[in-house]
Amino acid sequence: MIAAESPTLATMEVGRENIVHLPLGLLGFESIKDYVLLTEPGQEPFRWLQVLNDPSLAFLVVPPFDVMPEYSPLISPEDTRILGLVRPSDALLYNIVTLRGSRATVNLKGPIVVNRYTLRGKQVVISNAAGYSLHHPLPAAEEA
Amino acid sequence: MLILSRKTNECVVIDGRITVKIVRVDGEVVKIGIEAPADVPVHRLEIYEEIQRNNREALTNNRSTVPKLPLKPLVAAVPAVPAA
Repeated sequence: MIAAESPTLATMEVGRENIVHLPLGLLGFESIKDYVLLTEPGQEPFRWLQVLNDPSLAFLVVPPFDVMPEYSPLISPEDTRILGLVRPSDALLYNIVTLRGSRATVNLKGPIVVNRYTLRGKQVVISNAAGYSLHHPLPAAEEA
Repeated sequence: MLILSRKTNECVVIDGRITVKIVRVDGEVVKIGIEAPADVPVHRLEIYEEIQRNNREALTNNRSTVPKLPLKPLVAAVPAVPAA
């Protein structure tokens, strides 16, 4: 319903729908580069990273600090350069959630990092990945 | 790919700042020591494969359930003021 808005700081913060471009796709899905990041009412802070050309497919993602306030991912200088990040606040992070029945886990080793101004992103392997879990448990899922 | 042969305790230096040392050779298992700046990611190849697998498992066409995170209080509770 909401048309894609031109990328600005305000849009990323208050907009309910944004188009995100991942030049390298996601690991294992390198050919899919365009997504819509959207929120279903009542599901905050979770968002859906929906495949632009196939809206039936999506990844459930969550800003990691809502799950683990002390999360301190180290993004490598190369990834920082690729994404054009100047300040830490330039980066928006979304981590992929896997639903297995009523159990859900979030991948803390490989967040999707998005430049909030360009809306271009990349799934990075954080330099301190060894200190975080690929399957960090979340509270049990509930019907939306 | 550059292929070198090293003996135990010998090193290779990458980009002038990353040192790879053969710590121990035990049959088929080679123990490698890596000295690199903290911001240089060094990972076993498997981690990329593990994340790929996790991504594949995470892709879904079912949006009916999401986890419920505990609500954080927005304002600290205001203590009751006792009657004078």
